[in-house]
Amino acid sequence: MTLDWIWDNAARIGELTAWHAALSVIPTVLGLLLAVPLGWWASRSARIYPLVIGGSGLLYTIPSIALFVLLPQVLGTKILDPLNVVVALTVYSIALLVRVIADGLASVPHDTVQAATAMGYRPWQRLWHVELPVAVPAIGGGLRVAVVSNVSIVTMAALLGIPQLGSLFTQGFSLRLTVPIVAGIVMCLVLSVVLDVLVHAVTRALTPWQQKAETA
Amino acid sequence: MITFEHVSKVYPDGTHAVHDLTFGAPSGRLTVLVGPSGCGKTTSMRMINRLIDPTEGVVSLDGQDTRSVDAIDLRRKIGYVIQSAGLFPHRTVVDNVAALPRLLGVGKKEARARALELLAKVGLDERFALRYPYQLSGGQQQRVGVARALATDPPFLLMDEPFSAVDPVVRTQLQDSFLQLQRDIGKTIVMVTHDIDEALKLGDQVAVFREGGTLAQVASPAELLAHPADPFVADFVGASRGYRALGFVEATATVQLADEAMVRLGARPADLGEVDGGWCVVVDDAEAPLGWVDLRTAGDVVEERHIDFSGTVARADGSLRDLLDAALSSPTGRGLVAGPDGRLRGSVGAAEVLRHLGRGREAEVAS
Repeated sequence: MTLDWIWDNAARIGELTAWHAALSVIPTVLGLLLAVPLGWWASRSARIYPLVIGGSGLLYTIPSIALFVLLPQVLGTKILDPLNVVVALTVYSIALLVRVIADGLASVPHDTVQAATAMGYRPWQRLWHVELPVAVPAIGGGLRVAVVSNVSIVTMAALLGIPQLGSLFTQGFSLRLTVPIVAGIVMCLVLSVVLDVLVHAVTRALTPWQQKAETA
Repeated sequence: MITFEHVSKVYPDGTHAVHDLTFGAPSGRLTVLVGPSGCGKTTSMRMINRLIDPTEGVVSLDGQDTRSVDAIDLRRKIGYVIQSAGLFPHRTVVDNVAALPRLLGVGKKEARARALELLAKVGLDERFALRYPYQLSGGQQQRVGVARALATDPPFLLMDEPFSAVDPVVRTQLQDSFLQLQRDIGKTIVMVTHDIDEALKLGDQVAVFREGGTLAQVASPAELLAHPADPFVADFVGASRGYRALGFVEATATVQLADEAMVRLGARPADLGEVDGGWCVVVDDAEAPLGWVDLRTAGDVVEERHIDFSGTVARADGSLRDLLDAALSSPTGRGLVAGPDGRLRGSVGAAEVLRHLGRGREAEVAS
């Protein structure tokens, strides 16, 4: 049990990390795209809001293993198809992000929305040109939670044999080696931090109009 | 012309927000809707651009029923200014103003050039153009709000308490510069306010609402002060309305002005000889009055510290209220009057103003 194992397997760890990143990021992006219309719908009516938010919240309570096993039957995919993981994590991302979008849109100042309506913005123009841009800080915050949560859930896919950093856990377990497990955990942490910082940086870049803390 | 014909708004819970409203806001004029809170003035205004739909009756713009037009197209013909400006926080000042033209397909360059012109028109310095709304004061934001509402040069303008979120000094500035702007652009404006002073100052026509969403009186400000329709209007227009009514009576050439001795800063009282009562008007190099000086107590040389600044200066083409105020505030009882060029014309006493007012009254009774 030495660090040699890491050097010997560096290429494979890199490959697994790349897979892991892809399996975390793609579902987050897809989840965001699907959560926007759902969140918008929820934010438009006090009656629909609890239904949509409650319903999407329920999705998050489905155990991930169950979803991984169930999806091939629903989608007609092979059990080893990474698509299963992408779909499952997209479902979780939607569950997290619908609420973020709905609350983010609700946080847009009422005056701003009213002004846009009175100026003659159509509802979708108002959403695209005013509400979504103004909600970016709130949405960015939720996106960080979603992407980090995905990094963690992806590891479960190791139980199905889909390659990503979780594979190091199963390997370490079967070989009774601690180093692969620790290496997997460290890489997961690094990936989480990198993605978190990335989302944060993009959010900041998109919102030069936000009052900076030092001038407040 | 914006017309209301028997317009009512009843909410599902049975509340009457507006009841059988009939009146017109004439083209090119500023009509103010004023009344206590909950009187339906804001609801009425929002029915013009269909942010709220009436339960009964017809609202029309230049004879066209607003329900016969698509609500979005309707709103694009009507500029809208709200209390807190409601600017887009994510857009710079210039892009806030250019937003609607851009949405309607005007090129970026053209829209921004036009936005800069408008910002100059509402009195906002060009250096603010690239700032974000949070970097502006409330008064500056409101100027941007007005510019944005005018961006597509709409014939109509709705203003919802546009000047009430700023302090009194800034409010007066905004009101004055808006009045000047309106003289220039001549839009058909409906403005909502709860402040009767603002209504009387800005309105060509004032519509007073009472609780329950009914119209108490529609009249010009002078008419409202002179002939309130009922005790409610009289009470709402408020105390000292006799004095305020003077604000709508123009001073005319028939008001007799008395000549006053003038002295410049730095002058020596000894050189002036006898001055009646010892009081003398201090003027600057352009002969604009600064205040009064009592030559008996001034030293050898008239300096700024000797000046009594308490008196207001009325303009010869101002109102009787200005003249009377100048007389009442003057340490000598003689109000200073300056010409449109700012130069001292002379002084007027309170008795002369009242004598003039009395003559106006007699003429009104006779006619």
